[in-house]
Amino acid sequence: MLVKFILNGDPVEVALKNDDRLLVDVLRVDLKMTGTKHGCGIGACGTCTVIIDGTPVASCLQLAALVDGAEIRTIEGLAGATNLHPVQQAFINCSGLQCGICTPGHIMAACALLDKTPDPTTQQIRNSMDSVYCRCTGYSRIEESYRAAIALARKTASA
Amino acid sequence: MNTRNPRPSTAGLLVVGKDVPRTDALPKVTGAAQYVADIHLPGMLHAAVLRSPHPHARIKRIDTGAAATLPGVKAVVTGADTAHKKWGCFRPDLYPLAIEKVRYVGDEVAAVAALDPETARAAVDLIKVEYEVLPAVLSLDASLADGAPLVHDDAAGNIAHEFKFERGAVDDGFNASDVIVEGTWETARQWHTSLETIGCVAQWNNGRVSMWCNTQTPYLARGRYAVALGVPEAQVRVIQTDVGGGFGGKSGDDNASVIAALLARKSGKAVKLIHTREEEFLASHPRMPMRYWVRLGFRRDGKVLAKEIKMLADNGAYTGKSQAIVGAATVRHDALYKYPCARAHSKLVYTNLVPTGAFRGFGNPSADWAVEQCWDLAAEKLGMDVIDLLRMNAVEDGDVSPHNHKITSCELRQCIDKAAQLIGWQEKRKHRTPNRGLGFGCSIHVNGRRSFGDWDGSSAIVRINDDGRAVIITGEGEIGQGTLTVLRQIAAEELGLPYEDVDITRPDTDVQPYALGALASRVTYVAGNAVKRAAAVARGQLMAAAAAQFKLAPDELTIINGEIGPARGRETEFKSVASVVRAHIYQPNGQPIIGIGNFDNPSEFPDHSRFGNESGAYNFAAQAVEVEVDPDTGRVTVLEMASAVDCGTVIHPAAAEGQVQGAMTQGLGLALIEYFDWYNGAPTDPNLKDYPIPSAEMMPRLHVAFADSYEPTGPFGAKGLGEIALDAIPAAIANAIADAVGVRIRELPITAEKIHRALHPNAYADEHSAAPVAPKSSVWTRLSGGKPSGGRPLKTEMTVATTVSEAIAALQASDATLVSGGMSHALRRERTGYPLSRRLIAVGRIPELNALAIDAQGILRAGSAVRLQTLFDEPRVMHGWQAIAEALAAVGHTRIRYGITIGGSIGPLIGGFDLPLALLALSTRVTLAGPLGLRVRTLPELFETRLLQHEMVTAIEVDPLPPRSGSCFYKYMPRHVLEIPTVNTAAAVSLNPDGTCGSARVAVGSVSRKPIIIEFKQFYGNFMSAELVRAAVQEVRTLAQPQSDVRGSAAYKIEMAVEFAARALCIAWQRAASHVKAS
Repeated sequence: MLVKFILNGDPVEVALKNDDRLLVDVLRVDLKMTGTKHGCGIGACGTCTVIIDGTPVASCLQLAALVDGAEIRTIEGLAGATNLHPVQQAFINCSGLQCGICTPGHIMAACALLDKTPDPTTQQIRNSMDSVYCRCTGYSRIEESYRAAIALARKTASA
Repeated sequence: MNTRNPRPSTAGLLVVGKDVPRTDALPKVTGAAQYVADIHLPGMLHAAVLRSPHPHARIKRIDTGAAATLPGVKAVVTGADTAHKKWGCFRPDLYPLAIEKVRYVGDEVAAVAALDPETARAAVDLIKVEYEVLPAVLSLDASLADGAPLVHDDAAGNIAHEFKFERGAVDDGFNASDVIVEGTWETARQWHTSLETIGCVAQWNNGRVSMWCNTQTPYLARGRYAVALGVPEAQVRVIQTDVGGGFGGKSGDDNASVIAALLARKSGKAVKLIHTREEEFLASHPRMPMRYWVRLGFRRDGKVLAKEIKMLADNGAYTGKSQAIVGAATVRHDALYKYPCARAHSKLVYTNLVPTGAFRGFGNPSADWAVEQCWDLAAEKLGMDVIDLLRMNAVEDGDVSPHNHKITSCELRQCIDKAAQLIGWQEKRKHRTPNRGLGFGCSIHVNGRRSFGDWDGSSAIVRINDDGRAVIITGEGEIGQGTLTVLRQIAAEELGLPYEDVDITRPDTDVQPYALGALASRVTYVAGNAVKRAAAVARGQLMAAAAAQFKLAPDELTIINGEIGPARGRETEFKSVASVVRAHIYQPNGQPIIGIGNFDNPSEFPDHSRFGNESGAYNFAAQAVEVEVDPDTGRVTVLEMASAVDCGTVIHPAAAEGQVQGAMTQGLGLALIEYFDWYNGAPTDPNLKDYPIPSAEMMPRLHVAFADSYEPTGPFGAKGLGEIALDAIPAAIANAIADAVGVRIRELPITAEKIHRALHPNAYADEHSAAPVAPKSSVWTRLSGGKPSGGRPLKTEMTVATTVSEAIAALQASDATLVSGGMSHALRRERTGYPLSRRLIAVGRIPELNALAIDAQGILRAGSAVRLQTLFDEPRVMHGWQAIAEALAAVGHTRIRYGITIGGSIGPLIGGFDLPLALLALSTRVTLAGPLGLRVRTLPELFETRLLQHEMVTAIEVDPLPPRSGSCFYKYMPRHVLEIPTVNTAAAVSLNPDGTCGSARVAVGSVSRKPIIIEFKQFYGNFMSAELVRAAVQEVRTLAQPQSDVRGSAAYKIEMAVEFAARALCIAWQRAASHVKAS
């Protein structure tokens, strides 16, 4: 099966090795886009989160055949040539990471939330963070990163 | 503050103590960081491993023929392909692949390398092993019983290691004691659950193997892998990749890397082996469970006089680092308080269970679990506030423990005061809130530990390049704890260079000097000292070179921010470091500037009885928690956790705070939520849903403070802190629960059920214990040889249907399955390795199935392909059907609601699913399409009659609730994290204008095969009350037939089903009543 979608702004065509191939394998193995991580395979940990048509999705539970025509964003698609995305910058500024394996998932979940809800409630932030496990940080500095990202985005918007 | 020792000021430091940007942050936020699974080498093969389904068996025959001839398979290895050498850290007892026997469920038997992971996995399923199942020992007691089967023939009585000591006059101490407390405590296996699993890419070239490993300890791994492979150490090169979490679990005791190397050698190709999550649970080395008996003696005023422990530790089938862990768990705590004497007897016991090993804390959390609870009991008996008792007995600098642990810097009392202050100890003790409690605990940890021989050192090279930048060359690596950043800060501070001008290399055993790696909280202290020394030497060379160029003495020069000049000179006279180095090199006989630094921990190699000062310095922590216990369920909510840590000078405050917060969180997980169901010696369903880790929504407020402290032997006064903040958290939580509701939990994990049982013993008086049931999970079926039948395809074809009739027609072809969101198919594929069927029919693009509307009569109509997230985003759903909105919220997160469609949620007719349960409490009709056309059934009818063959759900209709109605949904998950609920309930109540009941219905899921639906007709026309509701829902008790599992025993589930049915009905009724009042 041939699947076409937009990946980080570029059109992509992938001939699936098997019609039930998972999006995470298409990204990581077929397209060598290894920024998206594979953590548990059952949608529990969220490290494989990507954004499909504006919604955060666990790419380990997403059949690639079903994303035909979709617009997909991954961690590799956030930074510009010279500038980081405000969410990325916020995670650096706040040391919102340790081992980093969940970081792409957390950043994609945060981007998905903040794109739709630039001024989220604490509960919305916590629910978004809750969708991605982190074994290292205890989430405090990830929450700070969310808040810093909101402030950075606001600053960028008003500038 | 302790003022016995004068200390240097750290006020003038420019880089140390600052939150510089982490070295590893940029690659990690852009996805550029390269973890082992991200490596793609040309021609690389993928590995899969066959594991033992039996806890103990003799291998009679292995037939790899069918696997080897499967197209795409390039190598198959078994024990016969190995050097027949056992390996292991202290007690070599592990073969890379089993020879003759398997000793636990998960033991590696054979492995395959193939062109892709799917083929490798399919080939593994084709390997046939004939086992003679042997009697197994599946607990400490079984292992120690007379005549118990031996796990290893050379370990009599299944004892892997044993030691005892008596230091000082212990009996005299107890005889002199006014108060004696004692008890037995037990801890449990805890998995590291790094979100990156263990893995390796191996490639042979000219007889040498390069291994890209996500190891914490590249050099120690190299030595052990060489033994396992039967080759000289010089033939093994270990390169550390980015490491996605370690916590002790990646310290080189597992077979994964060795098997990758064996496959690479046999195939002649690079081979990648990555543990699946399931394998990580089956075959990594989780925290070692211990049974810990402790007795403490005290003088009336609270002074501790004697301590005795007896400890049994569950080694599992192979030893790894376990005997060192037993050592730490036995002696370390004796340096935390001023014990004048101590006696101990510890045994490490083999069992046919997953081998245990190093996990952050290294035995100390188990010791603290017992001893810090014992101190809490002592405080109660002595009539003292536990803080006063701990403070009074806390060690101080200058103290020497019974085992010759020499305490240098120590701010334990300061930590105790700070932790108490952070949690609000005094005020909260004065003004108590019902069911809330406070708990406290302290801990001590090493900074490196002399375990692997009489050296616990580190070496580093600091080179200053002709571009003015310095580079640190060290074999110590980053596992997320901040090593790269902290070592750069130390070097920059010592060199007088800006942080940005100092680079650091990543460990490669062919290149960097020998180092022990990230374990024992040693890197900041041991490696930091080595780097500081190397930087000092390089700086000396630099200043000497500059002195020659300036024609001044070195001490007349200064270096500031990368510029060198006369200490009393003008800025214009300064030269850049680059120009000084360049001029120094580019001259006849010019030399590079290279400093070498070595540091060996000023410690002693302990003897067999563990006498000896194992570390040059010790760090300390005091921890306090506040909990709230729901007495009707037993569920514990941790409200706040506070840690005050003495780690000397803090090099990077943000990273240090992150270490403490992360460690506390793992302690929280260990205490409350991290446990599995077991069957025949292994977890029944080893995945991240059955074994959750703390998620963001369950997190309490975390408070962190650092003591004002300075370690004279540390780099700029620093000590380690990676592990300490985990150690006392479980004990502090147990102490807080005892404070809140008077229940003392002695066995980890602390489950809601244990507390509920202690609070309501009568509810369990008539309980019958059921025999354990064999697990049904696909993982287990696969492990125990129940392979999908030979006809099962690897390939599947998908048809995208555009109309319902097209989908129904396709469904009638043989071996076809519908996919809507596709999640259940993806799950099945992941867990079995095989597709649901040969043909998949995608229905998500059929326009009519995506319709969502609320019509003029207020009826909600939704097509079966509507995603739950779409329904959740519809504000009128919350307004009209609160139970639906709450059920959708309870499904979890956006990404789960996105993946599940209405049809996928209802079609399987599983009463434990959230949405159907909410719909059962309401009035819901389901439209079905099949070969014979359309039909409509109510949802309760459908649960009775099921779907017909080749039929699919196309839509649901939900009637509006009458005026003066309320509905509610609640999902009870005792572990606070998203998982299959213990019970979920939905209720709907409508009231008459006079406030009497018009209708009342409750639906209860997850406690019986079909959901329980009860209409409370006895209420109709009558006024409801909480008491009447409580009495009426007792009917649930007779209908519930739950099975015992990880979410609770059958008896507990029945109690909870009744409890939450009552709560749901009461909430729905109150919501309905609010409309009566409003009108």
